[in-house]
Amino acid sequence: MDLAFTPEEEQFRNEVRTWVCAHLPADIAHKVHHALRLTRDDQQRWAKILGAKGWLGFGWPTQFGGPGWSAIQKHLFEEECALAGAPRIVPFGPVMVAPVIMAFGTPEQQQRFLPGIASGEVWWSQGYSEPGSGSDLASVKCRAENFGDHYLVNGQKTWTTLGQYGEWIFCLVRTATDCKPQAGISFLLIDMKSPGVSVRPIVLLDGEPEVNEVFFDNVKVPVNNLIGEENKGWTYAKHLLSHERTNIADVNRSKRELERLKRIAKIEGVWDDLRFRDQIALLEVDVVALEMLVLRVLSAEKSGKNSLDIAGLLKIRGSEIQQRYAELMMLAAGPFALPLIHEAMDAGWQGDQVDGRVVGFPGDALHCAPLASSYFNLRKTTIYGGSNEVQRNIVAQTVLG
Amino acid sequence: MNFDLTDEQVQLQDAVQRWVDKSYTFDHYRATVKHGGFDRDNYAQLADLGLCGLLVAQDHGGLGMGPVEAMLVMQALGAGLVLEPLTHTFITSSVLARFAPSDLQARWLPGVASGETLAVLAWQERSSRYRPEKCEAKAAPSQQIYALTATKNIVQAGDQADAFIVPALLDGALALFWVESAASGVQTRGYLTQNGSRAADVTLNQTQATLITRDGLAALELAIDVGLAAACAQGVGLMDKTLRLTADYLNTRKQFGVAIGTFQALRHRMADMKMQLELARSMSYYATLKLGAPAAERRVALARAKVQLGQSMRFVGQQSVQLHGGIGVTDEYIGSHYFKHLTQLELSFGDTLHHLGEVSNRMGETAGVFA
Repeated sequence: MDLAFTPEEEQFRNEVRTWVCAHLPADIAHKVHHALRLTRDDQQRWAKILGAKGWLGFGWPTQFGGPGWSAIQKHLFEEECALAGAPRIVPFGPVMVAPVIMAFGTPEQQQRFLPGIASGEVWWSQGYSEPGSGSDLASVKCRAENFGDHYLVNGQKTWTTLGQYGEWIFCLVRTATDCKPQAGISFLLIDMKSPGVSVRPIVLLDGEPEVNEVFFDNVKVPVNNLIGEENKGWTYAKHLLSHERTNIADVNRSKRELERLKRIAKIEGVWDDLRFRDQIALLEVDVVALEMLVLRVLSAEKSGKNSLDIAGLLKIRGSEIQQRYAELMMLAAGPFALPLIHEAMDAGWQGDQVDGRVVGFPGDALHCAPLASSYFNLRKTTIYGGSNEVQRNIVAQTVLG
Repeated sequence: MNFDLTDEQVQLQDAVQRWVDKSYTFDHYRATVKHGGFDRDNYAQLADLGLCGLLVAQDHGGLGMGPVEAMLVMQALGAGLVLEPLTHTFITSSVLARFAPSDLQARWLPGVASGETLAVLAWQERSSRYRPEKCEAKAAPSQQIYALTATKNIVQAGDQADAFIVPALLDGALALFWVESAASGVQTRGYLTQNGSRAADVTLNQTQATLITRDGLAALELAIDVGLAAACAQGVGLMDKTLRLTADYLNTRKQFGVAIGTFQALRHRMADMKMQLELARSMSYYATLKLGAPAAERRVALARAKVQLGQSMRFVGQQSVQLHGGIGVTDEYIGSHYFKHLTQLELSFGDTLHHLGEVSNRMGETAGVFA
């Protein structure tokens, strides 16, 4: 047993740190460190910088142009990016659909889709959930009828994160109904510019249209956009979900946000209130314990063992911690978390014109502007990616059978 | 960075596990409690396994092993409800090796390693609670030998021990002393504690003592941290077994015609217990692997670990009793003893709130396993 990373791993970390430090645009890092609004352009700029370096697909094997990093290297890369204030890589392309295309796509599909994902040129969205299919994903109804050279897709997807920017969407569609629900699902890639696709934003608690409904009305999709075999989509989806869960603990971001919480607590004067500071201390213990849990999973992967029976715990704990730091930040701000001034969450906002003069955020507490929004926004974390209640079912299965 | 065990470490843990299964059955445990909560013969068996000398250098007759091995042993002893205070043997070995002059190490450590000398830490006083710097015991110098006057409470196996490691004020500063129980002026009053183990109040009246170190606070803090790491490992062993007992019960016990382990409310509680166990196990590793770090870093790490363990042990213990229903609150059921052991461990070497205060006071700008 050894807590320290190897010298090679430390050297790798330093290389990543140096590179990220030199290439992450300062304006983007500023926004991330202050929880200000990120635009599509911000996301794309960073994605393309990573793409040019070959690191957007940081989890990819070398045969598909990826760096071929070990689990620990991937972890260190994500940690350095998070601590430097890089936006989270939008996962739908490089982290979610790409591994499915690599594992189950044809060489032609790999040629066609992977380069655009690796470079950050093409924005992908995820079409899984439907109004009637949340936790029970296998019940999807969005229908794809096979007409020989094309499918005709009719139905609806929802909770499509950042779907308003999406150019392509990977969907679970129903291709058979006379069987077990899981056995009639196919995995289809759809060009969102196709006639019949429409996107309607859903405004969330924080006032932001982060997710969308996507409607398909007689959308023609070429059959060579089908991944793998028809009606085998559920298998591919499970493969994808396993990729979604490993980094869902997001402990690196929580470390960064814990630091921000401490800064906010000092500015707001609650750092010296022991009742409040003890709550931060509890969160600090939670974060360290989660990091140790993550390191245990990484260590198991490194030694080629199955990642114990604890991987399922990562999502539950990681999401609870994200909600907790946001909650404490909001509570630290106290009443100054309450003013709802949407523009104050944009970088460079100087204030509003009032009677011919510029008036800033109440109490000049501009850093408080996004805190309640973040709190409201992060309520999603215990719901998405398999709700924490579903996760508990899975964990209980490992204990009780 | 890896958390794999070596083959030797696996063998060690298996050996201790086998001894527990064979020799420290629930009946044997109950008999030991009835006998007063400590059995010298049990302790001698731990010595026969080499465990008393686990952390003692080979030069002094020990095995010269380290914190990881100590953790594995304490996990197994925890899971087996073992009452004899091997934790204190680990404390004694660590403190002497780090702080005692070499001639004194040569004098005492072989006896510690062989199990002939049981030496326990006698540090708690009525007004000190869990704070090592609070001490009313006093030492007066008289030539080479010192005279100690002290009242120390809840000293593990205090009326059975052969020697004590005692913090006392010397010229206004904390120093650490070795006191033999046979010395004049030593009085003990033994009693059972809540988990069935034995403790005693120890009073010293002008009792002859040997100075271990004048760097008493640093030495006592190390002693407590070694104790904390052992307690964390013991807690993990206890919780691991508690979860297995509870899972077995849920899968066996039937109500409304089905095993109660099919009810989602109970399944989710089990998932929460599993979460607490694995967070605790992670922090037990962390505590163990930070024992060799510089003092300031070590202290924060051990405090963080105990905050996690304290919360986990309370949750797992309480929920196990709840999920068992009526049988869980009976003395006859083994599970209730795990609950009491978990409870006692939370109150040992500083409870959750005490260590939360430590974490809170020592918080820096950054945090994480490596910060």
